[in-house]
Amino acid sequence: MRIYGLELLRGLSVTLGHFIASYTEGFKRTFANRLRGQVRQDPSERGIFTVQYPEERLRVPERFRVLPVLIFNGKEGEKWTPAAERCTACGICAKVCPPQCIWIVQAKDPASGKPTPKASEFFIDVDVCMNCGLCAEFCPFDAIKMDHTFELGGQERKVSHIFDIDKLHVSTEYYAKTHPKAWAQEEEARRKKAVK
Amino acid sequence: MNEEQVLEQEVRRHVLITPWDGLLKLLDPVYNWGRRNSIWPLQFGLACCAIEMICTAASRFDIARFGSELFRASPRQADLMIVSGTVTKKMVPMIVRLYNQMPEPKYVISMGACATAGGPFKEGYNVVSGIDKFLPVDVYIPGCPPTPQALLHALISLQKKIDGQSLTSVRWYRKETDSEIPVPALGPDLLDVRRGQEIKAKCAGLEETKPAVLPTMIPAPLPGNTLLVKAEELLATAKRLKLQPDLAYDYLANLTCTDYQDCYEVVSHLYSTRRPSPPITLKVRARKEDPRVPSLTPVWPGADFQEREVWDLYGVRFDGHPNLKRILMWEGFEGHPMRRDYLEPYYEAPGKIFPSRWKEGRHQRAEERVPWADNVKYPAGFDPAAWRPSAEEFQPVASRTLEKLKTDTLVVNLGPQHPSTHGVFRMRIVVDGERIVALEPVMGYMHRNHEKIGERNTYLMNFPYTDRLDYLCSMSNNLAYAISVEKMMGIKPTERAEYIRVIMAELTRILNHFWAIGFLLNDLGAFFTPALYAIEERELILDLFEMASGSRMMCNYLRFGGVAADLPEEFLPLAAALVNGRLPKAIEQMDRYLTRNEILLNRCRGVGVLPREAAIAYSAAGPVLRASGVKYDLRKADPYSIYDRFDFEIPTFPDGDVYARYRVRIAEMWQSLAILRQALKGLPAGEVQAGKKLWNLRVPAGEAYGRTEGPKGELGFYLVSDGTDHPYRYHVRAPSFINLTALGLMCQGHLVADVVAILGSIDIVLGETDR
Repeated sequence: MRIYGLELLRGLSVTLGHFIASYTEGFKRTFANRLRGQVRQDPSERGIFTVQYPEERLRVPERFRVLPVLIFNGKEGEKWTPAAERCTACGICAKVCPPQCIWIVQAKDPASGKPTPKASEFFIDVDVCMNCGLCAEFCPFDAIKMDHTFELGGQERKVSHIFDIDKLHVSTEYYAKTHPKAWAQEEEARRKKAVK
Repeated sequence: MNEEQVLEQEVRRHVLITPWDGLLKLLDPVYNWGRRNSIWPLQFGLACCAIEMICTAASRFDIARFGSELFRASPRQADLMIVSGTVTKKMVPMIVRLYNQMPEPKYVISMGACATAGGPFKEGYNVVSGIDKFLPVDVYIPGCPPTPQALLHALISLQKKIDGQSLTSVRWYRKETDSEIPVPALGPDLLDVRRGQEIKAKCAGLEETKPAVLPTMIPAPLPGNTLLVKAEELLATAKRLKLQPDLAYDYLANLTCTDYQDCYEVVSHLYSTRRPSPPITLKVRARKEDPRVPSLTPVWPGADFQEREVWDLYGVRFDGHPNLKRILMWEGFEGHPMRRDYLEPYYEAPGKIFPSRWKEGRHQRAEERVPWADNVKYPAGFDPAAWRPSAEEFQPVASRTLEKLKTDTLVVNLGPQHPSTHGVFRMRIVVDGERIVALEPVMGYMHRNHEKIGERNTYLMNFPYTDRLDYLCSMSNNLAYAISVEKMMGIKPTERAEYIRVIMAELTRILNHFWAIGFLLNDLGAFFTPALYAIEERELILDLFEMASGSRMMCNYLRFGGVAADLPEEFLPLAAALVNGRLPKAIEQMDRYLTRNEILLNRCRGVGVLPREAAIAYSAAGPVLRASGVKYDLRKADPYSIYDRFDFEIPTFPDGDVYARYRVRIAEMWQSLAILRQALKGLPAGEVQAGKKLWNLRVPAGEAYGRTEGPKGELGFYLVSDGTDHPYRYHVRAPSFINLTALGLMCQGHLVADVVAILGSIDIVLGETDR
């Protein structure tokens, strides 16, 4: 004869295990130096699994992508200049963009009126962008990259959600900080090309 | 100076008099503190963003830390509406009604690009360009989808906003405010009733529009194994194909339509579950005016919803179909939107790349380009005042006479806003007492025009869109699409890429089954404990995806002939730790926790039985088919990628009930782990991309139907190419959609409470059901 409820209790032992682990693991965390201040993100993690945002943040991998940014050669805090701009207005990012959220105006030489390989205006409609990263993947000049900033919530959208060329530009220094590995690889490739 | 004045002076000198408003201001901190820490969201999700919203409420991000863990299923108890995902025209009346039912004070967070302005689906014919056209929004979150932390950040911003409010000025204590918003109606297009006069005036001045002239093609010569039959011979041929023992084409995998220059071509793909045989493609053509073909439902009942979809989107009538009416759009919608000459309101060019974007690309919103300043269009001479809604037509169910008692049947509506419908899905249920007499699924509330947009996209652009089909399984969707296009192009991915693809696809299967089981238990009433355990494991797999592809959910990782980038070096140790350590333990734990639990057994055994023959006839796929005892898994039956190299079993259970579907999923997770172990071990070094990665590749003219075994069933892509860089026809064979065909059959005779369990056991995702 089967006793009704035994299997239910057996199942509840799993919940009890989780309950107890949340305390034992918590104690370990309090006293073990090794674990202090570490975000709970490892597959070996047991017990409480919570990342205490905003005090602590989930470590994001380098490839993490939210919105695109434009890169200019310079230091953080500087303002971009057409000379430091990497973008050549070739338009490949606008052409691969699946929801077509990129708008580019090619710069013209003020004296002759001939088009120059620079972008004078560059817009990204954040409300259309699908964060897919194809623009960054296919840019031949390493000029457009995917940023890590995700805390973008705001109370207005009509003006602030159209990113223009000033808002989009970030420095190579910033990019090297957020994407150290990709930066090193790209620099290496550029060096090799220069040697040739 | 009289006595009174003297007294007043005395009082003023010695007593601090505060005006009423000032006194109230002193209360503000307390008032705001209470509200800011108890913002209860409405349990309401629309699309992909809703999954991230659920994760925000789960253990890793734990929205309870902000006092917002009480997701209320009733708008009467909710303070905050998180509009999480694409707002479609079909759904927006319900959203406005829900908002109206919420008591003040109420707040709205617009989560993600779609809710804010239509997002990547903005150009679609069924998509509303932003919820702020109807509701006042407090916080907008950019991102597609915003991560759970971004949602928490928005919640903190909302709390800050509340901190700044004052009792004296808030809108809900003012007499004159009326927060009731007029509910929009579904006419020939979405009708904003506030704009009635303007619409009438503009429609009076409209001229009849001529059909657009767009590039079309004539059908290509028939590829091999294709039968083109005349309409009058279709049924006889179909019967012969199915019944003749040496043919035995018993499984209708896919049925769809292509709009050619001189005809509509209805195409169906047939397979046999009994013997390995090459597939047969059955084609029938209908003329352009008043297109008609015979319905295939008498032979394969699984054609039911698919034929309705073709009628809805192409306007091809199926003679003999028992219930031919629109399925994704609503009755009364003007036009058949997938026809080549149907242009959406925001139509810009026949194919992307839009010329307005580059060289002289000054930003302009789509709204600014069109006369209605919105994503709508109405026929000439349309008058909103004279328009009457067409009553929804459902099949009548006669009342029955039980022994001596004559009872009337009762119609119960479940959804589209219901916590157990796994999204914006609706069921119209006819009950006789407690028992279900008939059930009809009503869908399209998340129809965001994937196929129409897909035919304008270049081949590469469709990758990130496939992520948003079944948004839990973006990697598998990528794989199915990549395989279909590679089939047409005749390219083969590199060895390393093949292994990476299998690793990703099987990890996806595990996370999908975890999620499905967690939420099945939710539907059964085991509220959230199993789901929380499941989500914990899923989060760890998502970390791997994010590491490799850059995004938790919308991976966009595969490319034609390879993958987007090689695995980062920290990927493999973590994947090995998961596959060899954590995941087996977690599955074992889930098994111990639930499988023999008496309550689960009582609720699931014998419920929602789908017999073997019916499962095949109704084109059920994936775990639903295998739980009915059919040993049919495309990884073995029609091997793709490199699945023929791995050693694994196909678990089946004969009972066909909810419990069997649960067991199949647990068993499949074990098999996926076995594949993963072999794949991780065998992963070779080398390139991850065959040839050069092209963004503007052209696909040779022709057609292909590529099918894969997705976690939910057969996920296929039917593609027709005219040799250019975008598909002429792009159709998704969606398992979530076709598995629902048998839902009515499974639910008959059961209780209303069982319906949610049966639906949960089919495991649908609305992004894929409605596309």
